[in-house]
Amino acid sequence: MAMVETLVQSVWWIPGYSLIGAVSALPWFPGLIRRTGPRPSGYVNLLMTLFAFVHALVLLVSTWGQPPVRLSLTWLATAGLDLTVPLEVSSLSLGAVVVICGLNLFAQVYAIGYLEMDWGWARLFALLGLFEAGICALVLCDSLFFSYCLLEILTLGTYLLVGFWFNQPLVVSGARDAFLTKRVGDLFLLMGVLAILPLAGTWNFSELAVWSTTAKVDPTVAFLLGLALIAGPVGKCAQFPLHLWLDEAMEGPLPSTILRNSVVVATGAWVLIKLQPVLALSPLTGSVLIAIGAVSALGGVLVALAQVDIKRALSYLVTAYMGIIFIAVGSGQTEAAFLLLLTHAVSSALLVMSTGSVVFTCITQDLSQLGGLWGRRPVAGLSYLIGAAGLVALPPFGSFWAYLKLIDGLWGTAPGLIALLLVVNALAAYGLGRVFALVWLGKPGQMSERAPEPFWLISLPTALLAGFSLHLPLVLQFSGLLPVWDDFHLEAAVLLTVSCLSGLLGVRLRWVELPWKTVQTLLANDFYTAAAYRQTVILGVDLVSRLVNHIDRHVIDGLVNLVGHLSLFSGEGLKYSTTGRTQFYTLTILVGVVVMGLLVSLSYISNLPILAVD
Amino acid sequence: MLSVLVWLPIVAAVLVGFWPGLAAERARQTCLVVATALFGWSLWLVARFDPAQGGLQFAESIAWAAELGLYYRLGVDGVSLPLVVLNALLTWIALYSSPSGVKRPRLYFALMLLVNAGLTGGFVAQNLILFVLFYELGLIPLYLLIAIWGDSERRNYAAMKFLVYTAVSGVCILGAFLGIALAAGTSAALDYNASLTTALPLQAQLILLSLLLVGFGIKIPLFPLHTWLPDAYTEASPPVAILLGGVLAKLGTYGLLRFGLGLFPETWHLVAPGLASLGALTAAMGALAALAQKDIKRMVAYSSIGHMGYVLLAMAAATHLSLLGAVLQMVSHGLILAVLFHLVGVIESKVGTRDLDVLNGLMNPVRGLPLVSILLLVAGMASAGIPGLVGFIAEFLILQGSFPVFPVQTLLCVVCSGLTAVYFVILLSRTCFGRLDNATAYYPAVGWSERTPALILTVLILVFGLRPGWLTIWSEKTTGEMAASVNTPGPVARVASKIPQVRSIPLNPLSTLP
Repeated sequence: MAMVETLVQSVWWIPGYSLIGAVSALPWFPGLIRRTGPRPSGYVNLLMTLFAFVHALVLLVSTWGQPPVRLSLTWLATAGLDLTVPLEVSSLSLGAVVVICGLNLFAQVYAIGYLEMDWGWARLFALLGLFEAGICALVLCDSLFFSYCLLEILTLGTYLLVGFWFNQPLVVSGARDAFLTKRVGDLFLLMGVLAILPLAGTWNFSELAVWSTTAKVDPTVAFLLGLALIAGPVGKCAQFPLHLWLDEAMEGPLPSTILRNSVVVATGAWVLIKLQPVLALSPLTGSVLIAIGAVSALGGVLVALAQVDIKRALSYLVTAYMGIIFIAVGSGQTEAAFLLLLTHAVSSALLVMSTGSVVFTCITQDLSQLGGLWGRRPVAGLSYLIGAAGLVALPPFGSFWAYLKLIDGLWGTAPGLIALLLVVNALAAYGLGRVFALVWLGKPGQMSERAPEPFWLISLPTALLAGFSLHLPLVLQFSGLLPVWDDFHLEAAVLLTVSCLSGLLGVRLRWVELPWKTVQTLLANDFYTAAAYRQTVILGVDLVSRLVNHIDRHVIDGLVNLVGHLSLFSGEGLKYSTTGRTQFYTLTILVGVVVMGLLVSLSYISNLPILAVD
Repeated sequence: MLSVLVWLPIVAAVLVGFWPGLAAERARQTCLVVATALFGWSLWLVARFDPAQGGLQFAESIAWAAELGLYYRLGVDGVSLPLVVLNALLTWIALYSSPSGVKRPRLYFALMLLVNAGLTGGFVAQNLILFVLFYELGLIPLYLLIAIWGDSERRNYAAMKFLVYTAVSGVCILGAFLGIALAAGTSAALDYNASLTTALPLQAQLILLSLLLVGFGIKIPLFPLHTWLPDAYTEASPPVAILLGGVLAKLGTYGLLRFGLGLFPETWHLVAPGLASLGALTAAMGALAALAQKDIKRMVAYSSIGHMGYVLLAMAAATHLSLLGAVLQMVSHGLILAVLFHLVGVIESKVGTRDLDVLNGLMNPVRGLPLVSILLLVAGMASAGIPGLVGFIAEFLILQGSFPVFPVQTLLCVVCSGLTAVYFVILLSRTCFGRLDNATAYYPAVGWSERTPALILTVLILVFGLRPGWLTIWSEKTTGEMAASVNTPGPVARVASKIPQVRSIPLNPLSTLP
């Protein structure tokens, strides 16, 4: 028992390992160490992630089924503000840590293969390490304030990771937009963080949950607070209307996309789920959550259908699935949300890995130029199918159970939402079937004539993750997370299964583009969101800043200069009227005279009998 | 103890300036030794400082011209101590990053030391007239430093504008101080005596406080008194800009805190709402104007205006947390602005331009300036308030401390912090990211003498960002006492409470928060 306790106390190490890895990779970046090349930085990070993974796994197994343990460390306590880092070591958080470290382990091995020739290794691995550390810490920490801090640091990490190949203009704008979009969400979250402390007196999620059961908050305040709190997750989870960045982030290196599409976007959802009790204070907030989620789920899955870029076709599905999690949280079903978070992370990572291996050998991401790879790329093809099956609600794979739980919770209360979920699932299945058919079926396209399976560093992690994905339902059953069959509405299961059949339609049709021109253009351009932003927010900020600058230069400063020109002190005037440095002698004297004069008059004035107070 | 900090640089400046036949390199070395000694001495003060005590420590007092109310009275408390250390550090950085090949080196180095003496004196002076003397002592050397060693043709204009503005500021402050003595009827009021000023009639207090606000508002600077700043910061050479932005601006906020809030704690409530709005306006104006700049140095200069807005908001709110945040922000802003100006200076000297439209791809590991780019990124992100760096915790304490008092203004400042991120991302994307032009990329190597100052400051930004407790401990007690003095209702506050709706801001439902 003491052994376990020591182990729990050492939970600090889990984010610590990867942080050490990230820091130790730094010397390789600006070329301080040249003789070894950048590779050691990658190996160090891989090793550190392995340590973290094993540590977390041991901890998970040894504390399985035990009540959560809370640890804390005071970071700053000053002026009545107590910033203590509370950690919650529970089976849930440790399970999440194992998934994060495991996926990062796969992603790093994959990166060693995928970016074999790249010169930016140190940067990539340092950032992957930073992400792992940040997300693990986020999952373990039980405080809104520190979650906010970590989300901000991860925002910076996204900026650097998306901007990995910073020579290319699209990468630069993608990194910029990712940073700014997420930051907008973060800042609203910061407003929520600021506002909730005077109300609740705490930032700890567990204490907030207790507080919100009895709290009496003005409905308007509760609604505004809820809006501010969900804005952060809206940005992180790439929900409408802050979803653009995820699409642009696809300019980043593919191994980082594995993490981004699975666990990085999930950080927002995690915080959202933790905040659910507070959000429930205002029913209106719940409706807003559901609305955002519904729009994102439907919009994301529709836009995905019109994409010809293989990475983008998958990334919009991420928006859609995060939207479903928003719906789950909005309707108070946190368990279903957690379950979907897990199954989506695994399947989404697998999909990126398998399509990435195609991109690696075929050098193109364009769906219209691929095809006929089934015979040459069975490992990638099978992995893709497993990933797709795990993502849509196909029994008995992972997401089916999450969907089932969610629909069961909505049964009888929200038939509209159930219909929406079924439509989203059907469209997602269709989209995944379409991508499969365009890449693996049909005749080989121009770019897929010669496409061997890539070497083991890419194939092995893909195959291993596919194996894990297949076993995920068993893992769920073993952990007692699988819902008991009898409690469920059979109709729901049947409906979900039937809605998956549309995937076959996607395979059958093999549409690169939708046959309806207007719809295709609208969806391919993401409902013209980018253009809308350019015409409104960006234009507005630009105009206002120019206006302010103009006023500053010509009105305020102009006034100053006018006064200056009219007076003796004018800099311009003196410049033209005098030569050399006489001007500051003049001024020195002038200022000196003024000061001395006032000093002298002080003694006068204070000694004047009229002013003397008796 | 404190006299050493004030007089050592003055003596050294005289020696460097007038010692016959002193070579340029020797002058620089002498000054560096002096600056190191000053920094060491200030650290020793820190070691001897008792953080559990809120009042003045290491006090010294000599009657100088007692009939004028002029006493040579020095002392530090939790608010001035961090600024004294910051001043010593940034002086060292500025001297270290000044090449010995500057024109008229002996005058230059002597003036730099004089500026240091004036600023230190301002931070430790506890007599009003003595404060004004030191305040003015820093002015003329800085004017010369901008006018002679400035960057471009506009330097004379910028220097003159700086001089005129600051002279007006000095006159306002002197006027206010003399007014205090006049109104109190005794020159003892010049000896920093809050019990005398709080006894003045409300009307007189308001007039005097407004005068101080204008005076220090120019120095901080506040919107719309700020237009000297972009010109002065941009035209000054990087080491001078470090002193200007890193320390001199803090003399304004420090003065407002010490003499405005300290001498008129009860009248403070009356001006606070306006001051908070002015702070938010300053922050917004600085951020928006920075967004429109094409010159990276000018952009950094405007960002400095924006960050001073937060300090003003914090002082207006005057809660314990916000005042502590204000002190923290002064230090963090000093560190961040110093490293930004230094790096911008390095980029300009290597690449030959500060134009956003020309700069590109400096992150390139082979022919760019990779280390400079990384440090610029860290500094920019610290300025934009990314957690883990010192800028975040300072801003956060300010925002959290001010939110209960001025929710609307605080939220506006949060928006401004977002705008800060926008222009720094634009700056970084344009300068560090992008494709390096191979035809022009033959930049001189960045030497260790150029890296060291930036590395030192970056390490400090990181260390204090991760362990802010090492900064807050010194000021916690003093700011607590200041906040208590403002929030204890005195005779004037009772009068003020009869004036309807002085503090309530019925704009937002959030203002009903407890």
